[in-house]
Amino acid sequence: MTLKLLSHYGEGALKDELQRAVDDWNAGQSRSRVETVPVRFEDLLTTVVVRQAAGQGADILHLYALWTGQLVRAGVLRPIPAHDVRLVRSGFPNAATQAVSVEGTVFGYPTEGQTYGLYCNRRLLAAAGAAGPPRTWRELEAVARAATRRDHHGNTVVQGLALSRGDDSDSVNQVLALVAARGGAFLTPDGRRCALGSPSGEAVFSLQRRLVRSGVTDPAIDMYTAFSAGRAAMAVNGRWWCGSLLASMGERYHDVLTTALPGGRGTLATAYLMGVNTQCRHPEPAWEFVRWLNADSTRIAGALVTRMSALQWVAGSMTARIADIQALFGEHGDPNARPFLDALAYATPEPNGPKAQQAKALLRKNIEEMWSGRLSAAEAIGITCRQVDRELCHPG
Amino acid sequence: MLFYAVFVILPVLFTGALALSSGVRPGLSDMTFAGADNFASLFSDGSSFLFPVLTNTLLYAVGTTVLTTVGGLVAALCLARLPGQGLWRTLYFLPVVTNLVATGNAWKHLYQPDGPLNALLNTLGMDSVGFLQNPATALPSVMIVQSWASLGSAVLILSAGLTTVPRDCLEAAELDGAGPLTILIRITIPLLRPALLFVSITQLLAGLQSFALITVMTENGGPGDTTNVAALEMYRRAFTYGDWGTASAAAFVLLLITLTLALAQLRLFEREGKDT
Amino acid sequence: MTHHRRAPLLPWLITTIGALVMTLPFTDMFLTSLKDPGDYAHLPYRFLPSAFAFANYRDAADELDLATLARTSILTALTVTVSVLCTSSLAGYALAKLRFPGRALLFRFVLATMMLPPFLLLIPHFLILAHWPLAGGNDLYGNGGAGLTTGITALVLPFTVSAFGIFLMRQFITTIPDEILEAARLDGAGELTLWWRIVLPQTTPALITLALLTFTIAWNEYIWPLLISTANPCLMTLPVGMQLLQGHLDPQRTTPLLMAALVISALPVLALFLLLQRHYVRGITEIVEL
Repeated sequence: MTLKLLSHYGEGALKDELQRAVDDWNAGQSRSRVETVPVRFEDLLTTVVVRQAAGQGADILHLYALWTGQLVRAGVLRPIPAHDVRLVRSGFPNAATQAVSVEGTVFGYPTEGQTYGLYCNRRLLAAAGAAGPPRTWRELEAVARAATRRDHHGNTVVQGLALSRGDDSDSVNQVLALVAARGGAFLTPDGRRCALGSPSGEAVFSLQRRLVRSGVTDPAIDMYTAFSAGRAAMAVNGRWWCGSLLASMGERYHDVLTTALPGGRGTLATAYLMGVNTQCRHPEPAWEFVRWLNADSTRIAGALVTRMSALQWVAGSMTARIADIQALFGEHGDPNARPFLDALAYATPEPNGPKAQQAKALLRKNIEEMWSGRLSAAEAIGITCRQVDRELCHPG
Repeated sequence: MLFYAVFVILPVLFTGALALSSGVRPGLSDMTFAGADNFASLFSDGSSFLFPVLTNTLLYAVGTTVLTTVGGLVAALCLARLPGQGLWRTLYFLPVVTNLVATGNAWKHLYQPDGPLNALLNTLGMDSVGFLQNPATALPSVMIVQSWASLGSAVLILSAGLTTVPRDCLEAAELDGAGPLTILIRITIPLLRPALLFVSITQLLAGLQSFALITVMTENGGPGDTTNVAALEMYRRAFTYGDWGTASAAAFVLLLITLTLALAQLRLFEREGKDT
Repeated sequence: MTHHRRAPLLPWLITTIGALVMTLPFTDMFLTSLKDPGDYAHLPYRFLPSAFAFANYRDAADELDLATLARTSILTALTVTVSVLCTSSLAGYALAKLRFPGRALLFRFVLATMMLPPFLLLIPHFLILAHWPLAGGNDLYGNGGAGLTTGITALVLPFTVSAFGIFLMRQFITTIPDEILEAARLDGAGELTLWWRIVLPQTTPALITLALLTFTIAWNEYIWPLLISTANPCLMTLPVGMQLLQGHLDPQRTTPLLMAALVISALPVLALFLLLQRHYVRGITEIVEL
């Protein structure tokens, strides 16, 4: 039998490493064959929803944990077998386990665990006269201003702090990471109401508004291209970016320096999970594969870790499994991984309620309106809270 | 007829049923009656459906209709005075037969912050414009492309209409000393009414349903919600969030608006027809 | 002709500028498709490529598997065209020449459906195909399997009948003199024979026009194939496939490739149009006169 594995690992090292693991599985035993089905991350949720409605859902799903609530409610995900529940609870941090559970039931193995930090370009910081990465909010703003360069047409040549306007998660996560660093959050812990109307929310929104207005940042410019081309001094992003920067910047990756967000007391944690579809006709072998990928050990850099952890490590991203994090990132490896590992101790996970993605989409729109100056920071927060509260209470 | 039963009547009823129900899986077994809840939710305080999604949709539809009709009329009038009409018409018609993914991306490229149009502006000594990135210019920028893409058929239809305007009528008016503008307003436009009506109604219908061009050019209706329109919102609610109920309700609202506007337009032209 | 005496400078100016605007996006698309990455990244922007990188076309074709996409597009557009021609002229014939109760009402109904916005039908069409009884592993009640969403039928089925096509063909068939049909009926010909022997040959120009318009629209259709190929990527058409190239993170390399792919996706219909434009022109202008 052939099992389909849907995931957004469709490019670069992540694709190659996932394929390598799948090939190992296919070569190693004769019970089931796994076939990878890659889609873009932007299309992943739509693909899951449409294929499920068309009765063509993939057997094994690799998903953003934010969607767990929505997809469990729509009857897409199967609860994980009892034996695996114990493995997940003992092997992964509480935050990661929560991210893949709905009301106490676990729906998959956590695969990626991301924390957010500040990416700096050493060379541009030095050119701006900064001795090192900013440690306080005041320094962050001052360094960002000092690093900005424009040409005589008003086109931005170097941004102090780049903001990304991509999909919902792109726009929102970099804001929520900063809000968390100031001790705030998007939603209340039960995920039922908007909690942005706090001093931390206001501080972050008005900081970004100021930076855009004074031309320190230009959300119209693609952050990914700008930063890897050395045309942005700082940006906020998850650990996974190290891997793609290494690939796109090559030698110039030496310029990249990562650090904790100013204040260093809080940030955002996001997670991914791998689970099995209710439409899967052979759940036993499907779980067997997921278990094999997430528990069976492989040796990498002298340590014994899971295949999933090895895959994440090689691709420059981050596993969620406690033992593997310690083994892989303990002493060696990319020094840029350090701030993200430290952040695991204090990062807050995203609530994964049934309307989490819709709430995020509403937040994205208002953040973008605020960036563009059509809404003030306070207005953007007010409208977001009204819209999000409304959406979260509608049964739909 | 079987086709109509399965693909027209049943779907309309089905959409109606979905719009009035809530349920996480789109099957008859899983639907519970929710009355007007889905409609109420679309129009409740704090919902973004009425503003800006519906207002964007209307602005977009009306704007592109005016642009295309006026642009088409100007071009058709100019063309009528030039030799080589066939060649010109061909040039103007090229976008009509090209798929919107191609034209949308071609324009998206022109609009890039460091792309050709801004390079042109800079050479002329002007500052760059963030066409699709600036919320103030994003929707008009897409509207221009939509009008550009449908201008060709408007030109064709209006040119055909112009050939039916009797020559002696125009010559008589000129002998009476009427200026070109008077002739245009008093004679040409009234005689062109059927063609103008056709152009503007088809444009309006197309504008209200616009989806492809907007997803191609701004992906998610950004920046913010500035280019989000009803068809896009409906698609996302249904196929990304699995929220079939409010998606169907949104489709129905748009249907009502479409029919109302089309009928109103028809009436308007008929009344004017009687006045003159 | 009075207005020929006046120097038509203004019309010339407007038309020429208009034509430039109409063709600029195409020109830029074509020129960009020939740039190599370094050339493309050059600031400020240059319209002309410094060297012609025709290899972009080969790379785009490889990267996107254009052959498969093109095959799906061609197959879909041809099937839709053939079925629209058959259904339109059959229904047009019935509505124009056959007497049966409720004919006028039926015709009005067909006209009314022309006003129905396609997006209203998007969700139900999709669900109906997915829950088609006894297809794709479905049971009698349409549950349990994939229905009709797995095959090329999914791309074609909602487009097999066109209200506009029926309308157009009815108008043309009405002009066929009744005497010819009556004479043939007296000779013992059945209605289908009449349709095949008399109606089709008499309306060939209208059929050509309808075929061209249908083919163009089917080829350029976006939202439905997007939905169907989200469910099943094997059913991706050219325009949907083009959008995929955008997902890559390196615009310097992919933009020229994307432009090359776009040129390829637009060419077949553009060529068809340039060759047979008089039929298009007639089709469009007849729509208004009807």
